[in-house]
Amino acid sequence: MIPVAERARTTGREPGDRRGRLPRSRAWPYLVPLLFGLAVWVYGPLLFTGVLSVLDWDLVAADAGFAGTANYARLVTEPEFPAAVARTGLYVAGLLPFATVVPILLAIMLWKRPGRASEMYRALLVLPIMLAPVATAVAWQFILNPLQGVVNAVLGGLGLPRLNWLGDPGTALPVIVLVTAAKVVSLNTLLFGAALAGLDRRGVEAARVDGATEWEVTRFVLVPQLLPTAALLGALCVVLASQWVFTNVAVLTQGGPDGATDNVYYRLYTYGFTFFDVGTASAGAVVIVAALGLIFAGRAALARRRDAAV
Amino acid sequence: MRFRRRGRRVLAVALLATVSAGLGGCGEDGDASRSGQVTIDFLSYNYGTPDIGGQGTQELLDAFHAAHPDITVRPIGVATKDVLTKLRTDAAAGEIPDVAQIGWSKMAEANTSLPVVPVQDVAGPEWEAHVAGMAPGVMNAVASDGKVTAMPYTMSIPIMYVNATLFTRAGLDPERPPTTMAEVEQAALQIKKAGAEGVYIDAANSGKSDFLTQSLIASNGGALVGPDGAVTLDQPAAVEALAALQDLTASGAQPAVKSEDGIAAFKAGKVGMLVTSTALLAALDSAAEGVFDLRTAGFPRFGDKPARPTYSGAGLAVFAPDEARQRAAWTFVKFLTSEQGFTIITTKIGYLPLRESIVNDPRYLADYFAADGRMLPSLGQLATVTPYTSFAGKRANEAVVVLQDQAVEPIMLRGADPPKTMTETAGKIRAMAKA
Repeated sequence: MIPVAERARTTGREPGDRRGRLPRSRAWPYLVPLLFGLAVWVYGPLLFTGVLSVLDWDLVAADAGFAGTANYARLVTEPEFPAAVARTGLYVAGLLPFATVVPILLAIMLWKRPGRASEMYRALLVLPIMLAPVATAVAWQFILNPLQGVVNAVLGGLGLPRLNWLGDPGTALPVIVLVTAAKVVSLNTLLFGAALAGLDRRGVEAARVDGATEWEVTRFVLVPQLLPTAALLGALCVVLASQWVFTNVAVLTQGGPDGATDNVYYRLYTYGFTFFDVGTASAGAVVIVAALGLIFAGRAALARRRDAAV
Repeated sequence: MRFRRRGRRVLAVALLATVSAGLGGCGEDGDASRSGQVTIDFLSYNYGTPDIGGQGTQELLDAFHAAHPDITVRPIGVATKDVLTKLRTDAAAGEIPDVAQIGWSKMAEANTSLPVVPVQDVAGPEWEAHVAGMAPGVMNAVASDGKVTAMPYTMSIPIMYVNATLFTRAGLDPERPPTTMAEVEQAALQIKKAGAEGVYIDAANSGKSDFLTQSLIASNGGALVGPDGAVTLDQPAAVEALAALQDLTASGAQPAVKSEDGIAAFKAGKVGMLVTSTALLAALDSAAEGVFDLRTAGFPRFGDKPARPTYSGAGLAVFAPDEARQRAAWTFVKFLTSEQGFTIITTKIGYLPLRESIVNDPRYLADYFAADGRMLPSLGQLATVTPYTSFAGKRANEAVVVLQDQAVEPIMLRGADPPKTMTETAGKIRAMAKA
């Protein structure tokens, strides 16, 4: 039995205020719609994916043979999947600065100079977010065309070497990162802007009155207050970077040249929808869920230890 | 306890409601025929594209609807490389289209993994009469075990397009285009010297189709697959063919770019020669208008060996499940591959007319060919086309992607060592065939 005072603390109610409070046994039917949704849309498919991962199925055959661990073995024995995992790390590392550092700087610059110009820049930042990803990717294909693209025309005009941006394994991945970064920077700048909007300008004014330079205001007043947002957006980048680049990879390089722009999600798509090997695609998906689960469990354990230390 | 029980009941009712709603949905038939009217779905990679392929397909559909008002054809557009994916997912969902245009490089896999109803069976007694007059070389090449499963539809073979304007500017005679790979390289280097790109051979095809790879290797006397089904792409004739392709890039005669970039540059009048499918003739022609003088020549030979290009393009596969829709599907297939159908296909889209009689018939193509004979060299080669070969096993489609991505592209564009790369790729494909 939880003491009344303790219960009040956890619910934010005054002791003795018991209106609307249900015993647990009565509360749970209200959760049924949510649980049902989770079962249908999240845990059911997850379970189904787990089942598919041990089958040999091509999307069409009426009977799917039992493959045991063969699909998982393929992930390890053929070099493509481990290479895609490693490359996923490169995408995360490449996009992380564009998800955190660059948008923080842009957001602070816009925040410090409020006015019509700042509003206009914000409106411009919304544009890349609104454009359809496939259309943007196709536009980049024209811009980066090695024989007729604008980029190579400018480089050639300056006497610099023309590059096969998307056709060279050395440049293809950085190009995909940069093309994706345009959208990530825009969105995250707006999110950091929203975090700054909730900030009390008087603290900044006080610092200025106390003789702080603009750099000191930025470094010691603004940035620390943006760190929680930065941590969240950084974590999202780690988890989602591979999905963000998916459209650009699919349209611009199809994982090539020679696998140079492949990543785990595009590999799953290739297994499932190019090679129709549903078992291997599902095994890959299970591995990814397990890996992400471990990352989150580790993060939660760290947070608990930190809280305990505090 | 009471609440717990009620909660369980709520959950059960909700589950039941969802399941029954789902089952109800499965039972519905959106294509139900009414008063003799039949509706069939037609999946096409040409339909819906903004180019002439899309316009030509629309014209075919309009002509069919005018001739057969009792049959409604619902066209579905899809990207070339996604045809199999779409058909597989549709089949898994129980909603496969009644007729589908499928590229020949993907037909073997379609035949083994999808519920194709052989078109020859669908036609029944009408078959012989309908195919009489169709190019026998093609009909033989597409038959397997004596039976045609998919109807030859938009067929093409590789050809060499020539930018006569660049030829003249480089001091070459466009009336005498090069005929061998060595002559192609020489001419290309001369064009390059004059400030343009020399040649582009569309082997690193972005649609992951290997028809040009097969054409090159067969023309050098080799094959991807031997008559006994063994993988032979690491044999000297095949390796030499791809080495010759690499030489063109290494010498600067060919730009080291992807298929789309090479073709786009040719369309813009910046490449002297382009070796690719006849299917591009109409598209290239409209791009060349007012920009350069477009001509054609035969597929280049390797020395004195005969050119042995294979075919590309697509066939029509029937999936219609019941008799009414199979009849409608056959009527549609019959129309598309009739004299009238091939006249539209050739004049509007640019594929080869597979009925020889219409070429000189004033009711059909006589005027067209009198004004423009650029497709004639390919028509002459139709009798001797090499059958398209497929790798064995259920990973055949993956094997083609491996061949294109891990051998052809690195050898052609990035200087990969031909014997080593082909040996490694052949090893991989052999392992896949066993899997």
